[in-house]
Formats: sequence, C-alpha cells, structure tokens
Amino acid sequence: MLKKTLACTIALAALLAVGPAMADTKDKKIALSNNYAGNSWRQAMLKSWDKVTKQAVADGVVAAADPFTTSENQVTEQAAQIQNLILQGYNAIVVNAASPDALNGVIKQACDAGIVVVSFDGIVTEPCAWRIAVDFEKMGASEVEYLARKMPEGGNLLEIRGLAGVFVDDAISKGINSEAAKNPQFKIVGSVHGDWAQEVAQKAVAGILPSLPEIKAVVTQGGDGYGAAQAFAAAGRPTPTIIMGNRQDELQWWKEQKDKSGYETMSVSIAPGVSTLAFWVAQQILDGKDVPKDLTVPFLRIDQDTLEANLATTEKGGVANVEYSLADAQKVIAGK
Amino acid sequence: MMGKLLRQPWVYSFGAAIAVWLATIAYTEGQGAGAILTAALSFATFTIIVGLGQMMVITTGPGNVDLSIPATITLSGVIAMKVMDEDTGRMAIGILAALGAAAAVGAFNYGLIRLLRIPPIIATLSSSFLVLSTAISYGRGIRIKPPEPLAQFAGAQVLGIPIMAVAVLALSIAMAVVLSRTVYGRSVLAVGQNSRAAWLAGLNAGRTRFVTYVLSAFLAGVCGILLSGFSRGAALNMGEEFLLASIATVVIGGTSVAGGRANVPGIWGAALFMYLLVTMLNTFGASAGVRLILTGLMIIGVIVLAGGEEQR
Repeated sequence: MLKKTLACTIALAALLAVGPAMADTKDKKIALSNNYAGNSWRQAMLKSWDKVTKQAVADGVVAAADPFTTSENQVTEQAAQIQNLILQGYNAIVVNAASPDALNGVIKQACDAGIVVVSFDGIVTEPCAWRIAVDFEKMGASEVEYLARKMPEGGNLLEIRGLAGVFVDDAISKGINSEAAKNPQFKIVGSVHGDWAQEVAQKAVAGILPSLPEIKAVVTQGGDGYGAAQAFAAAGRPTPTIIMGNRQDELQWWKEQKDKSGYETMSVSIAPGVSTLAFWVAQQILDGKDVPKDLTVPFLRIDQDTLEANLATTEKGGVANVEYSLADAQKVIAGK
Repeated sequence: MMGKLLRQPWVYSFGAAIAVWLATIAYTEGQGAGAILTAALSFATFTIIVGLGQMMVITTGPGNVDLSIPATITLSGVIAMKVMDEDTGRMAIGILAALGAAAAVGAFNYGLIRLLRIPPIIATLSSSFLVLSTAISYGRGIRIKPPEPLAQFAGAQVLGIPIMAVAVLALSIAMAVVLSRTVYGRSVLAVGQNSRAAWLAGLNAGRTRFVTYVLSAFLAGVCGILLSGFSRGAALNMGEEFLLASIATVVIGGTSVAGGRANVPGIWGAALFMYLLVTMLNTFGASAGVRLILTGLMIIGVIVLAGGEEQR
C-alpha cells in the first residue's frame, strides 16, 4: 500500500516536474475537415496543407496531420465526418465549414471531448472553437478605395457578386456598397451573381451588358474577373478596369493586357495557404499557448509592380498563394 | 391552325422566352435588344446540347435520368484542354480523347444500371463522383487555354448570330430526324412508352438504352469541349450549373417526364427562356432572393401551361 502510494507520488512529482517542458506536440494528431474540393482555390488550399504539414510531421512537430474532404459540400455529411474524427482520437480538428452555424452541435461535441477546434475560411460560430476569419467587408471596400484613387473622376461600376446566400458574398458586397456610398462619384449600375466561377460570371455579364451604359470598372469577388473580361470582349465593348481575384487565369490575362496596352488594375483575395496558418494555430493551442478565439487573416494583394513576381510563382490554373510558417502564425496570434 | 399550334407543347416555352425578352427591352427602352438575343443564343447552345442528351435519356422511360452530365462536361473539358495544351496541331487528338472519355462514362453508367441493377438516378449520381474525382486528379493545373482556332470557332458570330448556334441547330434537326425516322429513334419512343410492349414487338430495350446513355454522355463531352473553348479554359466547376439546367429545359420544353414523348424544339425555347429570364431579372436589378423565387414561379407557370393538354 505504502509502496503504491509512494510510486504514485513519485510519478506525480515527475509529471509535475517535466510538465512545462513537456509542452510538446510531437504525439498530437491534427485533422483537417474540409467541405469542398471542386475549385482551384480549394485545390491549392489542400496542396498547401499537404506540403506544410508533411514537413511538420517529418520534422516531428506533430504525429499526424491528415486531410479529409467530404464529397457533397453538405452539412450533414461534414457533421458525420467530424463525428468520425472525434472517435478516431484526433487532438485537434482544423475545419473549413460548410455552414457557420449548422455544424455547431458537432463542434461542441468535439470541444466536450477535449478536442481543439480551429475554423478558418468557412468559420463556425460555436464559441468553444477558434476562428481565423477574413475581414471580407474590408476586402470589398479596398476595391472601391483603389478605384477612387485610380480614377478620381469616378464613373459607372458593375458589381459581380459570388454565390447567393453565402455570408462571404453578403460581406464583400456590403463592403463594396458602403464604400461606394462614401464615394458618390461612383455609381453601381448593375449587379449580377457570378458564383465565383468564370463561366457563370461570363454568362451573367454577357446577359446584362447590352442594357448597361458605359462601364468604367468592374468590382468582383475573385474567380470571376477573367469571365467578365471575356464577356466585354465578346460584346465588343471597351475593357474597363476589372478588379481581379488572384486566380492564375486572371493574372495571366492582366499581364497580357499590361504588356499590350499598359492596362492597370489590382488583385486581391485570400491566399489558400490560410489552411497552413490554421494548422500552426492549432499546433500552438495544443502546445499550451494562449491564443485569442478570434484571429484575422491578412489579404494577399497584388499590384501593378508585384504582378510578374506573383504570376511566376502561381501554377497554371492555380491561385496566387503563400504558405504560412510557425513564425507567421505567432505574429497573427500576437495580433500584429 | 392556331388551335393546332397551341396544342404543341413547345409553343409555350418559346412564348415565355419572347415575353421575357420583350419585358427586358421595354425596361431598357430598346437598348441592347439585339445584343441580348446574341448573348442568349451563345449561352443557350450549351444548355441545348446537353438538353438533347438528357431528353433522349428521359424519353426512354420512367426513372431514366442522367445526373452525371455536369461531371462529364468537366472531365471532357479538362481532358481536351490538357491533351491539346494550347497546341493547334493537337486539337484533333484532344477532341478524340475527350469524346472517347465521355462515351466511356456513358457506357460505364449503363453498365452500373444494367449489370449491377442500380436505379439510374443512383448509378449516374455515383458515377459522377468517380468522374469528377478523375477530372480533379487528372486536371490539378486546370485553366489551360484552348488552342486559338477552337476558341475562335466557339466565339465566332456572323451578323450577330453565333456560328455555334447554327451548328447546334443542325444537330437539333438531325436529332429530330433520328427520333422520328430511324429505328433507333422510334425504339427510344417505344421503349419509353411501354418497355414490355416494345420487347414483345421485338425491340431490344437494353441496346436502345445503352446507346442513349452513351449518346447523352457524348453530347456532354461535346459541350465540355466547346464550353472550354468559349470561356477560354477548363475549370473544375464548369459543369456545375448544367445539372438542373439540363433537366429543366427538357421538362419546360414539353418532353414527357414519364417517357415516351420527346420534343426537340421545346429544348430551344426552354434554354432561351431560362437564360433570358435571368437576364431580365438582372436588368431589373432584382436581388438574388427575389430572382430565385421568380425563377421558380415562372418555371412552374410554364410547365403548368404547357402540361395543360388532356391526359391519355
């Protein structure tokens, strides 16, 4: 009895002694729960995850970092997937969610099971989870700010929105519209939904264009600028300033126009590598660091002078990207 | 004469398309009337191509539907662009590869339905997952530009009429002739009306359906190649919007969902109607919510009108 108590005490003491030093994540397993993979942004996101986490596993930072993607982009399916991940004993789940609130139940289950949940891009509202959010309103506003500087005389704008009913679409559009209200020299004369897809944007713009007056600029949400350019060309209208969204086809088109006629615009979006930022944030939380629940991701903005450099590093059909390092994550956590 | 015309189910979809167009140009006070039609013809052709395939599948009888069309469009576009790799000299081989892959999808679909006895709706849906995954893993680097001649063909116009629309008109006429004059076309109708009666009459229902599923996938392949030429590049989500569009055009166009009755002109009316409807609501500046509600209501309206004929 005495022996046993002694052994326990020693074990406990040993545990306490090494406690802080053991703040080590090499036995920890992190999973990525992803709801969709069917576009170039998501493909780049998964690729970045693969690249950074494989290295982290090889370096012994974590034991595993496995990505899981659902096939149908549906809440029920992702909820079932997260339930499986809980049962499989992951220590942290990094999630790009199909819905900001419909997954809250299963996210709470994960938290109750002692699992760290970090949401990014498609964030969740469940308070126990961390959120790496994008200030989409600010992103929309930055487009109009750029135009206000570039063309102080103003003019007519065409707005291409994203997928109706998704909060990202509402947020970017709100940013664009409130900034346009502050700059009354600009007038939004038309608005279509391009679903963040070039083909859909091209179709919608081609349909509304004949009924519109001269357009000075097109404000977009990314993944739609190239389609808009095709629609203007097909209609034989002068090419306006089209804000781009960092897709390779958009940058390539911009570069061609720049070389031909000195075309000027800017491009802004979120780097798909934000998945790697979420990975490092999860690792830091597992490491016992004090991380605020709400973090903000920086935008990746490309301007006239950084176009070539970014185009060179973006693969055909991909999206301009940056992968985040541990140091970057620590900076974001510190709020810098 | 007029009464006879009004009994044609396709009249309603054309009527709706014209009404929507008139409403749009009334709003813009005539501005862009022709250009809107040109755009409608350009974009409707893609829906018409896959609509024709879907029409044949649906006509072969209750339960037959091809849900793998979007995935097949994507696969074909990705293969075509990747094999051609912007090289005009490789265009023919790219087209062959893409159409071959598409036809293989159709054969696979029928294999699932016939050999494994899976209902078509499940078989084609599950095969579309396989097909899309193949496209994703094969395509990784996706938006590769088409060779210039292909892009030019897909975008060419003469006097505001897209060349492609003329080609698709020829295709549609050919399909109408196939339906009414050939053994295969008549078999499709007969099998759709009563599979057992068709079998007793000595028709091979299995072979008819096999050809039909391959044809549908093949047309989706054609659409994929042309679409990636038209929008200058293939993308993983390029087929997405064609799932509902292909079925809606068939139904609005007056083809019987129960099978056995097909309607080629109706596909044209319905595809133009669907495009012009979105254009009209965009021009009016309707919000997305209003637009979706009105789209739904108008589609229901046209179907109710067109379906008003007496039951047999």
